[in-house]
Amino acid sequence: MKFDTIIIGGGLSGLVCGLRLQRAGRKCAIVSAGQSAMHFSSGYFDFLDRTPDGKDVSAPLDAVDLLDKEHPYSKIGKARLTAYAEEVKEFFKGCGIMLEGDPCRNGFRITPTGNFKRTWLALDDFSVFETDTCPWNKVLIVNIEGFLDFNTAFIAQSLESKGTVCTTSILRLEEMERIRKNPSEMRAVNIARVLERREVEDKAVGLMKDMAGDADAILLPAVFGLKEAGARTRIEKALGKKVSFVATMPPSVAGIRTQMKLKAGFEAAGGVFLQGDTACGAEMDGSHVTGIGSVNFGDIRLEADSYVLATGSFFSKGLTAAPGHIVENVFGLDTDAPSERKKWYCTDFFGRQDYISYGVKTDSSFRCIKGGGTIDNLYAAGSILGGCNALYEGCGAGTAIFSAFSVADTILSENA
Amino acid sequence: MVQHGIKNDNEFDVIIIGGGITGAGTARDCALRGLKVLLVERNDIATGATGRNHGLLHSGARYAVTDQESARECIEENMILRKIARHCVEETDGFFITLPEDDLDYQAKFVQSCNSAGIKAEIIDPKEAIRLEPSVNPSITGAVRVPDGSVDPFRLTSANITDAKLHGAKVMVYTELISFIKEGDTVRGVKVHNRITGEDMEFYAPVTVNAGGIWGHAIAEKAGTTINMFPAKGALLIFGHRVNNIVLNRCRKPANADILVPGDTVCVIGTTSSRVPFDEVDDMKVTPDEVDLLLTEGAKLAPALASTRILRAYAGVRPLVSADNDPSGRNISRGIVLLDHETRDGIKGFISITGGKLMTYRLMAEWAADAVCKKLGTDKKCQTMDIPLPGSKSEGVEEISRKIWAHPTASQKATAGRHGDLTVRVPSEDELDTSLVCECEEVSVGEVKYAINELDVHNLVDLRRRTRVGMGTCQGELCACRAAGLLARARNCAEGERNDLKRFLNERWKGIYPVGWGDALRESEYSQWVYSGVCGLEK
Repeated sequence: MKFDTIIIGGGLSGLVCGLRLQRAGRKCAIVSAGQSAMHFSSGYFDFLDRTPDGKDVSAPLDAVDLLDKEHPYSKIGKARLTAYAEEVKEFFKGCGIMLEGDPCRNGFRITPTGNFKRTWLALDDFSVFETDTCPWNKVLIVNIEGFLDFNTAFIAQSLESKGTVCTTSILRLEEMERIRKNPSEMRAVNIARVLERREVEDKAVGLMKDMAGDADAILLPAVFGLKEAGARTRIEKALGKKVSFVATMPPSVAGIRTQMKLKAGFEAAGGVFLQGDTACGAEMDGSHVTGIGSVNFGDIRLEADSYVLATGSFFSKGLTAAPGHIVENVFGLDTDAPSERKKWYCTDFFGRQDYISYGVKTDSSFRCIKGGGTIDNLYAAGSILGGCNALYEGCGAGTAIFSAFSVADTILSENA
Repeated sequence: MVQHGIKNDNEFDVIIIGGGITGAGTARDCALRGLKVLLVERNDIATGATGRNHGLLHSGARYAVTDQESARECIEENMILRKIARHCVEETDGFFITLPEDDLDYQAKFVQSCNSAGIKAEIIDPKEAIRLEPSVNPSITGAVRVPDGSVDPFRLTSANITDAKLHGAKVMVYTELISFIKEGDTVRGVKVHNRITGEDMEFYAPVTVNAGGIWGHAIAEKAGTTINMFPAKGALLIFGHRVNNIVLNRCRKPANADILVPGDTVCVIGTTSSRVPFDEVDDMKVTPDEVDLLLTEGAKLAPALASTRILRAYAGVRPLVSADNDPSGRNISRGIVLLDHETRDGIKGFISITGGKLMTYRLMAEWAADAVCKKLGTDKKCQTMDIPLPGSKSEGVEEISRKIWAHPTASQKATAGRHGDLTVRVPSEDELDTSLVCECEEVSVGEVKYAINELDVHNLVDLRRRTRVGMGTCQGELCACRAAGLLARARNCAEGERNDLKRFLNERWKGIYPVGWGDALRESEYSQWVYSGVCGLEK
């Protein structure tokens, strides 16, 4: 099978890259093994929350100059990064994903444990706060009865420590009975499926009306809108109060919805999405990739002019760590990981974990490197890239989106 | 129960310092003899060497050649524990295998030594051994079958504590010894500090027992004497699934990493042995060299270990009492050491029970309780070899489960396995109580509530020791947060619980990063994204 570009990996980066290429008329295929990091999304995209040496960042674009030359943002360059940041809302809107927030400035979000954390743009139904305090005086925090992955006590304690008056309440819905019967079913996605039925949502809203009292705003677990966003606006309208969603522990309803929307957008533009397949058996001719195999296609080769590696890091199986080295799984590319594994970790769980920064080496256009030599038609995008610590710096989504933009633009310019 | 003119709440017959298995066993033994007992433990129960070993129900075969006395003690205790602690024990049997690099002549001497210690040791054909235990190294040249097994040390300690309390003992965890209250050369009691309430308290008893394991060294110093202890670190690895069903040992003189023990859903390889300074015993870290050694040697017992996911690495410190200047600590007897400080050092009302091992805790407790009774002038006899522990009073898991539930589910049976006949106390009335907190180990909300309400649980790590929450393949990924929510509600303290959650994750990480590659690293990356990223928790 022949395509213009084959993208390996169907997470945020692979989908964004595929969508951009497909919209520009390139015939693309995405080989996707299944779940991606989107499944444990916070409901927000981060651009750059802090510098590699730990300084908080308010305006991500202003901090780009402080980054090392191997950082993906340095390779893209400030000028292009600025243009990309301005373009990002429009890009996602094209797939029906509405992002909230200022693309040039960081704001804050409330986390599932009640912390205020820097962030950039919010997915539909979430909101970005301007400061690290709650903008309301009185807040009602509601949970679904029996749902253990959302903790109202943590959130209430945190908001109260900053002066907000909080009450907590529990929604009892008999429609949840069926999933509650199975001891492991009370998880965010299953709850979202039940709430997907409008009459159940209406019932929940009715119950909340009785609970709301004189609260200025209501915080809810993000268990609404597995297929379509918009629940927040409906609930706000019905209650006449501000409503804000707070992420739950995984799985992430909003992350899954966003991934499905991107996939639908990619397919609507004519792209081929090979779901549940794993790339393997890459074929090379010198410094040129000539084709790849896949588990499902067996002997049938997948061929293209260019290839994008967007397989993610360890969790997504783009990288695998062995006791003394870290390998890239599809092409055996060069990685930037030191062999001494003591250097991979910080002994504090919450410290900067260097292993998360490891990834494949690339040239300034994100072309991959193998055995010291550049491969001319293989690019990398997203968290498979080395040079940045997406978790510590809070630059995971930004790296995924902007490196995907950059790789797509390089491919388009070379084939213009 | 008041024996010796005790009038006040702060007066006891005996004070026991240390909530490891030895202290717990001694508290139970003394309480069964009718004494008024106080046990103080500066952390949680089973936090020292008790919870940091193989969990091997030794047959004694390992010591048969080098130490007949220990071997005999082991086999006798082995048979007793099978009766009194059946819900903590798994009867797996063990093999002592000979590899091509080992001397097969050792086998005859080994079998003869076992037999003379009273341990049934049966030479079996290597082919038969491979048939019975397919994970064993196929190149074995010899195999001997012995009555080894596995034992859950947390469950065992908890059951002893529960029974001590049922018999009137007062158990105070997170209560640290500040100093002894002495009158001349007599220990009259202890001054302690409660680390949770911040309160200092004084307690009095005619006898105080030092059961502090390796920390007994410092406890003895506070009383004004010295025990010449030898802190011998032993590192172990836990694998993510149960590779073997029969304990695998090397048939040779005891050495590094030559025991592989199956337990619950996992298996454990160990140990190493190296002397460590006293100032490190509170924070044992496993080094990359130790991990590599355990893996290399472990794969010789069961080659599948080389490709099995490692869950975590951990290390304990054996409380050995040194007799000579042996640098490895291997040649010091694992024997029980009971010190009466009156005859030894002229300090009245104070004894130390140390040395020994998990396997012989009951006997150690018996010796200690005998010594206590002698000092108190009573002749109450030990009953712990006959009276089953709470949880082991009725038949197996199936019977217990069926008495409570008409059609027990897998998770209800898992609960019954952990709590034995005490499972009736686990709330399971409605769906909220039966919903799962920890999916790897099938721990329900009800079981967590039971542990919080009845088993002295103060934090997530305590909860893990009572219920196995967070011990499974995900190492506490999501269950930690769920359990933290329940604890926050029960203790009405969200801020403290958030900090507790951070400590729990750090405690898990400490065991993971030494083996942080492959799936262990994948899982950790996920956990770190969830807790540092999505939740935004920081140092």
